[in-house]
Amino acid sequence: MTNRISRRSFLQGTLAASVGVLAACAAPAAPQTGSSVDEDEAAAPAMEAINLRWDTFRGIGSGWNEERIDTFREMHSNVTIELRPLAGSGQQDNYAKMYAAQAAGDLGEVIAFDPSHYHFWRAINKNIIMSIDELVATDGTDLGEWFEHFMSLQYYQGQLYGLPSWGWAGFDTLVTNAVHLEEAGIDLPDPTGHDVSIDTINEWAHAFYSEGERFGLNISHNEATIVVLCRLFNSSLINEEGTKCLLLDDPNATEAMRWAYRLGVEDKILPAPGDIDNAGGALTAGLLTMNWCGSLCVRNFKNAIEDDSIAKAWQILFPTREDGRFPSQLRGGTWNIRQGAENADIAYQFLLHIAGHDGSLSFNLVGGNFAMVRPDVAQSLVGNDPIHEWFIPSLENGIPAHAPANSRGREYTSAVQQWTDLLLDPNQPVAFEEGLQDLHDNIQAILDKDPA
Amino acid sequence: MSTKAMTTGRSLSPRWMQSLRAREAIAGYLFLLPWLLGLALFIAGPMLTSGYLSFTRYDIVNAPKFVGLKNFIEIFTKDRLFWPSLLLTFRYALIVVPLSLVGALAAAVLLNQALRGTTWFRTFFFLPHLTPIVAAAVLWGWIFNPEVGPINHWIRTITGSDDAPGWFRDPAWAMTGLIIMAMWGAIGGNTMLIFLAGLQGVPQELYDAAVVDGAGLWAKFRNVTIPMLTPTIFFNMVLGIIGALKVFAAAFIATAGGPAYATWFYALHIYTRAFEYFEMGYASALAWIFFFVLFVFTYVQFRQSRRWVYYAGEVD
Repeated sequence: MTNRISRRSFLQGTLAASVGVLAACAAPAAPQTGSSVDEDEAAAPAMEAINLRWDTFRGIGSGWNEERIDTFREMHSNVTIELRPLAGSGQQDNYAKMYAAQAAGDLGEVIAFDPSHYHFWRAINKNIIMSIDELVATDGTDLGEWFEHFMSLQYYQGQLYGLPSWGWAGFDTLVTNAVHLEEAGIDLPDPTGHDVSIDTINEWAHAFYSEGERFGLNISHNEATIVVLCRLFNSSLINEEGTKCLLLDDPNATEAMRWAYRLGVEDKILPAPGDIDNAGGALTAGLLTMNWCGSLCVRNFKNAIEDDSIAKAWQILFPTREDGRFPSQLRGGTWNIRQGAENADIAYQFLLHIAGHDGSLSFNLVGGNFAMVRPDVAQSLVGNDPIHEWFIPSLENGIPAHAPANSRGREYTSAVQQWTDLLLDPNQPVAFEEGLQDLHDNIQAILDKDPA
Repeated sequence: MSTKAMTTGRSLSPRWMQSLRAREAIAGYLFLLPWLLGLALFIAGPMLTSGYLSFTRYDIVNAPKFVGLKNFIEIFTKDRLFWPSLLLTFRYALIVVPLSLVGALAAAVLLNQALRGTTWFRTFFFLPHLTPIVAAAVLWGWIFNPEVGPINHWIRTITGSDDAPGWFRDPAWAMTGLIIMAMWGAIGGNTMLIFLAGLQGVPQELYDAAVVDGAGLWAKFRNVTIPMLTPTIFFNMVLGIIGALKVFAAAFIATAGGPAYATWFYALHIYTRAFEYFEMGYASALAWIFFFVLFVFTYVQFRQSRRWVYYAGEVD
C-alpha cells in the first residue's frame, strides 16, 4: 500500500470538490406549484441600478434639491440622483456651462433651459432637450394640474418639452406703499381690482413726487417693464410670432412710450439713472410710493418692512385691456430631460416629483423661488400667506411672454434695456421721435437676425 | 593638463563634439519645452483655432460651419455696436494712457527722493495695483454709489446741493467713473515702478554737469531726466496703450457695458458675442480685427519712436 496520491486521483478529487461547491451555490429549487410564494416575484431579476445627473442652479444651497432627491429615493430605491450644482455669477451664465457640457457629452439627464431666459427654444433647435409627449401619455399625467398659461410655455411646434418650474405674471403690478396713500386721504384700491386708470396712475405719480424727498413712481427700463407698459396701452413690444417690433407700427405702443417719456424726460418726475440705487429699499424707506414690478416684489416688500408707520405693502393692478386680458407677461421656467437620455422614464418620474404639488410648494417655501404654476400650490401658498390671493387673477387671465422667433432673447433684452435708457434719460434728453426710432430699429435688427 | 592631454582634448573626435552639442541642444530644448508647450497649447493653438473659427459659424453645441467672409462683412456692415465700441475704447485709451503716464512719472519722481519713509510710501502707492480687479470694481461701485457712496456725500456736503453725479448708473458719468478707477490702479502700479527703476538709472554725472551749466530743477528734469527716460516712457506707453485698449474687467463688473452702452468697450463686445450669445465664430472675427488694429497701432508707435526715443548705448 502506498501513501502517494496519483495525479489522476488528485484531479478527480478536485473535480468532485468543485462540483460540490458549485452545487452549494446553485439557486434554490423552484417551489412546488401551488406553494404560497408568488412565482413572478421569485423569478424577477434584481432591480437595475439607475443613476441620473441633475444639472441645475435652482434651489441650490436651500436644501430643496437634497430633500427632493431623498424623497424620490424612498420611492425608487434603485435610483441615485447626482446633484451637480451650477453656480454662475448670474443665472444666465449657467446656460453657457450647460451648452459646453452638452458639447462635451457631459450634460445631465435632468436639466432646465427656461423659456423666460429665452434658451428653451434654442435648446430644442439644437436637439438638447427631448419631447416628453410619449412619457406623458404612458404615465397618463393630467396636464391640467398646472396653470394653462405656464403649460403653454412648455410647448414648441406642437410638442411638449417640459414641466413648469417657476412662474409668475411678470411686471404686472405697481408695488405700492399704502402709508403714502393713506396719508393723502386716498382710499386704498382693491389689490385685485384692476380699477385704477392710467390717468390716475399718472396723477398719483405727480402728486406723490416731492423734489429731493420722494418719487411717486419708478419705472425701470428692462424688457419686463417695457413689454407690460406697451400691453397696458393695448399693444405689446413685439408681435406674438416674435418677428416684428411694434413700437412704430402700432400707435398704441408708441403712445405707451410717449406716456413714459412725458413723465421721465419732460416732467422729470421719475427717478433718473442713479437717483435710486435699490427700488425695493426706497419703498421700504418711504422714499418711493409706487414701484413698477411684480407680485414677487409685493411679497418681498411685505417681508422687508420693519416699521409699519413708514411703509405698508399694497399693490395696484393695471386696468383691464380692451380685449379683457390683464396687462402682464406670464414668464416661467421649466424642467427638461436631455435628448437621448437613458432611463428617460425614470427621469420623467423625477420631473413629476419636483414639479408636482409637494415639489412645487417646497420650491417656493424652501427653494426660495416664486412658482405659482399650479392652482393647488397657489391655494397652499394662500394658506401660508393670504397675500398670495392677490396674485392669482393675473395667473389666470394674464398674457404669456412673446419670445424672439430666432431665439436671440438675450440680445433682445439687452437692446431693450440699453436703448430705453437712452430714450428715457432726462439728463441727456433726446427727441422722442429720434429715441423711439433708435429703440425700434435696434430691436428690429435683432429680430431680423438668423436663428441663434 | 599636459600638452598631450590638451592635444587629445582638442582632437577629440568631431563625433564627440557633435554628441556634446546634441546633448546640450537636447538639454536646452528640454528646458524650453514647458514654455514651448505652453505657447503651442495655450497661445498659438487657440489663436490659430480662433483664426479658423473667424470664418465659421460656431455655436459651441454644433460643429463649426464654414461661412467664408460672412462674419467680417456683417461686422463692418451690420453690427451696430462695432464702430461705437471701437471708438469708445480708443477714447478711453486716449484719456487713460496720458494721465496714467504723467501720474505714474510724477509719483516715481516723488518717490525717488531720498527722504525718510520712502520705502513705506513706495509700498503704499503700489497697494492698489495688488488689489484684484473684481475687488476694486466692487469697492469703487460702493465709493461711487449715488445714494450712499462717500464721493457723493462729500460733493453734497461741499456744494450744499442734492445734485450729484450718478456715476456708474448715469450714461454721462459712467466712463468718467471707470477712468478714475483705472487711474487709481495705474498711477502707483507697475508703470510707476518701471519709471522708478529708469530714474535710478540716470547717471548722476549728467545732473552734475547740468548744475555746472546753471540748470535749475525744471531744466534738469526737462533736459536730463526726460531724455534719459524716453526708452522707459516708450515702453510704458506701448504697454499702457495695449492694456487700455483691452479694458474689460472693470466695465464688465461695474457697469456691464451700460448704462445706455456708455461703457460698451470692444473687449466687452467680443465677450458678449462669444459667451453670452454663443457666437464663437463671429467673436473670433471681432478678436482678429482687434488684433490687426493693435498690431498696426503698435507698429506705428515703434516707427515713430525713432524720432523721440533716445538710447544712451545706441551706436549710429
